[in-house]
Amino acid sequence: MIKNVTRFSLNHLAIAVTIAAALGVATLPAPTRADETSCSPFTPLIMGQEEFVYVWTLGVEGVGDGSDKLVTVDVNPKSKTYGKVIASLSVGGRNEVHHVGLSDDRRYLWGGGLDSSKIFIFDIHSDPAKPKLAQVIDDFVEKSGGIVGPHTFYAVPGRMIITGLSNDRDHGGATAHVIYNNQGKHVKTVPIPTTEIGGVKGDGYNYDVAINPMKNAMISTGFTGWNNYMMDLGKLVKDGEAMKRFGNTSVMWDYKAMKPIKIFNTPGSPLEARWSWKSGDNWAVTTAALTSKIWVFKQDGKGEWQAREVGTIGDPAKIPLPVDISITKDGKGLWINTFMDGTTRYWDFSDPMKPSEVYTKKIGSQVNMVSQSYDGKRIYFTSSLLANWDKKGAEDEQYLKMYHWDGKELKEGFSIDFYKEKLGRAHHMKFQVRDMSKLRPLHTANEAGDGIRVAFGETAAQEAR
Amino acid sequence: MTPLATALVGPARLPDRGGVFLLALALLLHAGVAAAAAPAQLEFEPPALGTYELQRIMRAADGRVLDTAGRTHGLSRFTGGKVTLLSFIYSSCADPGGCPYAYMVFHQLQTRLERNPRLAGLVRLVSLSFDPVRDTPEVLALYAGDHARAGRPVEWAFLTTGTVKDLLPILDGFGQDVFLDIDPASGEHLGTYSHVLKVFLIDRERTVREIYTTTYLMPEMVYNDIVTLLLEAGHKLE
Repeated sequence: MIKNVTRFSLNHLAIAVTIAAALGVATLPAPTRADETSCSPFTPLIMGQEEFVYVWTLGVEGVGDGSDKLVTVDVNPKSKTYGKVIASLSVGGRNEVHHVGLSDDRRYLWGGGLDSSKIFIFDIHSDPAKPKLAQVIDDFVEKSGGIVGPHTFYAVPGRMIITGLSNDRDHGGATAHVIYNNQGKHVKTVPIPTTEIGGVKGDGYNYDVAINPMKNAMISTGFTGWNNYMMDLGKLVKDGEAMKRFGNTSVMWDYKAMKPIKIFNTPGSPLEARWSWKSGDNWAVTTAALTSKIWVFKQDGKGEWQAREVGTIGDPAKIPLPVDISITKDGKGLWINTFMDGTTRYWDFSDPMKPSEVYTKKIGSQVNMVSQSYDGKRIYFTSSLLANWDKKGAEDEQYLKMYHWDGKELKEGFSIDFYKEKLGRAHHMKFQVRDMSKLRPLHTANEAGDGIRVAFGETAAQEAR
Repeated sequence: MTPLATALVGPARLPDRGGVFLLALALLLHAGVAAAAAPAQLEFEPPALGTYELQRIMRAADGRVLDTAGRTHGLSRFTGGKVTLLSFIYSSCADPGGCPYAYMVFHQLQTRLERNPRLAGLVRLVSLSFDPVRDTPEVLALYAGDHARAGRPVEWAFLTTGTVKDLLPILDGFGQDVFLDIDPASGEHLGTYSHVLKVFLIDRERTVREIYTTTYLMPEMVYNDIVTLLLEAGHKLE
């Protein structure tokens, strides 16, 4: 169990909102929905300067202690240790660690191992500069009913939605969403559909998930099973049968009911999923790794969700392998990393149905994850994809790099060599600050207004009757 | 003054501290008037009543609380036996996305639920203060007004705690963050709190079945969830 730490904080400072806040209702600003990269809209967001970046790092034999670890980097420009590693917490062994996710109160960081299926829960609020391991879940496969490979950790109130990548029957791609509560207890397992819905047959694969609460919509994508993601990439691409076993569909869900409402053909392993949070927008985006296609999911005039292929990334024949993406706070721009050429690409999404690539920059010999600050001015990159898929020899660069983005050009702020620092393979990142009292979830300001209007509109109508 | 506004002036009677809350409510009402002219709609068709299952998230926390008459109870007295909607509030809160909004949603739900005689005695609303120093039973009784009148078909309990020590395990158990607002110059408590609004839907067996934050606290959805839990428990509502 996660140890309770009092939630009634005497130590955190915040300026009162009081009358000024109340006045804000009467003068609701233009909607300022924003994105701190890929956080759940239920998690309080850092809308100013992030102070720490946590990097979920794969252990490498012969490098440091060889164990997976959570690496803490100081990214406060006012700090004496800016751009330096200030903490490293080994979890023991190598688990094929992959993604991390913040809890709905931003007090804990959950990280998974795709091979061991272990889940590590870190306390990141008691001392954000020095996370502590609060809990390890080592019976995920048993509790979930045979799901393997906990991947995305997506917070919803009181719970965490965890996407599984595989299963313990055949280590293939048929899998499920698994929901845990914040105390680390299993709540529910929701299989990915394998039946036909909306004229498309599901393949049961899973990868990422993203929720738009205002639409009661959740999109999920599909990667591949344990047999493939644990295989050496060079061997995998030569195995024709194995290459057939990648996800080719995405699924739109009724979030409240946790029921699939439509399946889309999105061939070639659709990976990361992001919603545009711009007010009035009703679309999400993903990129397919093997086909290099960009897909947008958007409601048509009748409110039905449709999928459209809207762009091609690089030369698909060369399999640039688009991996992580990061959408800007206004939905008008999308960073897309292509792993094989180590390049990040900025796409203009002013018209999401006709996006275009407007900027590219080579970040390293390989690049995987990208995370941007709320204001989009600081862009962070890491290098590792999977232990057996990363490049070999001199091309196996492992790093965290931060760039400043002025809308035209990326300029390097700092770089940390994760091999030189004896850390390992740098994978997923999340931000943190010391004082969380001022943080608010996405939508709060705007949707509070909307919700209040709904409440009052309905109440006024009731009382008029 | 509309019936709704009349119902809301209770807080104005609070000695020297209801003004901010009332101002917030008045401004919300202003927003409501605008909404009445162009009614806002949910941006989706919610799943039909009783066609979905609400997850069993966790056990509702227990602890020692005081009612508006100053009597001590276990919180479990107010979380079992009925479908319960519980939120943490403080009476001088003026955050438009916080307590005043929860107050409005609860008011609306009480009004709507009481229209169906079959729902009488099946649903409870609970507003629990996290300001035990100032939200005494007497103050909360004023804050509650007619909403807490005994014998209403939909009970609305206004609760506080005797001490912060009694409050902390309840906040921890539900996972409700609360931060004191401090004047950076003096270091003194400004008398207000920062918190992300959370509202907990609890079934008759004291299991939390949904948690709404401001992001997802939509009155229509909450009503549907309450009715869905009642249908699950075998009640016939038509």
